[in-house]
Amino acid sequence: MCAGVILPLIMAVYAGPEDRALIERLKRRDPQALAELYDRYGRAAYSLVLRVVRDQSLAEDLVQETFLRVWNRVHSIDSERGAIGPWLLAVARNRAIDYLRSSAGRDRNAAVELDESDHAPLYREMEAGILLSDQVRRVKAAMEKLAPNHRTVVELAYFEGLSQPEMSAKMGQPLGTIKTWVRTALQSLRDELGVAVSSS
Amino acid sequence: MNCDQLREHYELYALGIAEEPERGEIRDHLNRGCEVCGAGVKRALETTALLGASAPAAQPSPQLRRRILASVGLEPRRFGLAWAPVWAMAALLLVVAAYFTVSNRRYADDAARLRDQSARLRDQMRAQTAEIVRLTEAFAILSGPSTTEASFGGQQPRPPHGKVFVSPSRGVLLIASNLPRTAADKIYEMWIIPKGAKPVPAGLFQSQDDGSAMHVRSGTVDMASTAAIAVTVENQAGADQPTTKPLIVAQLSGATP
Repeated sequence: MCAGVILPLIMAVYAGPEDRALIERLKRRDPQALAELYDRYGRAAYSLVLRVVRDQSLAEDLVQETFLRVWNRVHSIDSERGAIGPWLLAVARNRAIDYLRSSAGRDRNAAVELDESDHAPLYREMEAGILLSDQVRRVKAAMEKLAPNHRTVVELAYFEGLSQPEMSAKMGQPLGTIKTWVRTALQSLRDELGVAVSSS
Repeated sequence: MNCDQLREHYELYALGIAEEPERGEIRDHLNRGCEVCGAGVKRALETTALLGASAPAAQPSPQLRRRILASVGLEPRRFGLAWAPVWAMAALLLVVAAYFTVSNRRYADDAARLRDQSARLRDQMRAQTAEIVRLTEAFAILSGPSTTEASFGGQQPRPPHGKVFVSPSRGVLLIASNLPRTAADKIYEMWIIPKGAKPVPAGLFQSQDDGSAMHVRSGTVDMASTAAIAVTVENQAGADQPTTKPLIVAQLSGATP
């Protein structure tokens, strides 16, 4: 992705210190705060959901559901130490993948339940600037450095919500091979991003 | 399993593809407040957030913003036929108000009154839309396949009484009556009481004039680790932990699914 394309996205996901005040206003049920939340993260959420479902109309429906879900669950995020941007993206991703799973009639028992990853308390004390430009560029660069098969399994897991057995079936590879690719890919991402994230 | 054995699985957990038994072990460590696993999972969630932010940039339609804001009552639903008569009435009132104001000062008082009526109509619509969202959440809990129901207050002489409905995937719905009127600077606060751990705040609410109340706390609930749902009276801003004796306690052990 070139800088000209990535810059608007970076601006859309910029998480500044004003997030704390925004969470407080959302908790007070200030609808104008929802407008500001949308202006700050709406485009990022839409981009993510569209990447998952690949249908503009459906993506808008799911983003609307995401923002209503956050509006109704905002009491569960810590306004002092919560990171609302990453949490909102997790909710958006989980809604989109839930839709993919239900529309494809995929066995929910074979796929892992996603709700655990959008518990607001998990987003406590996360770096407020996690979605800043450098980190987004780094993850993009790190993904491009991965071997094609390794990149594919990460994308299948993140953007399609496939479990490792599902990836094995889709790619026609033994489960052990898939697990090795996933483990290696995540180790590479960890190595590339670990320093960046912790030092941000 | 110890934290060292789980370290390799934090990213899988964050991606939602961790398998058993590691997934359950990580969840147990998190529920126990394990600092090592907590930090590891947070790091993994940061990575997955970055993956989400690296999706190719796309632009939603301008209508999406309006739809989202309309659903909480901030802006009108431009294409919502169900609201069309109300908006038409509001618009008519505004036009009439403007006409009287400009054409004849004798009608200034009437125009002001009509403007007030128009503003009240808009406020009512916003409140109704917010209520629809709340009722939708409540209905989702009531209709959840795994929802558990528990009663409270049945044995007291002048009780707040009612029921709580707890859905592991959708949240908690409290329906109560006979609630005493709170002081002007006080508010009711609901709590989820885990087994052997501190109560978790679950939202603020006020009762109606007749002492009834309905409160929804959306989100997942770990049924295995939750002992009860409780309500206390707190200062208007709410509290991190209960500061008064609960006037409602609904025990979930023995509750009916």
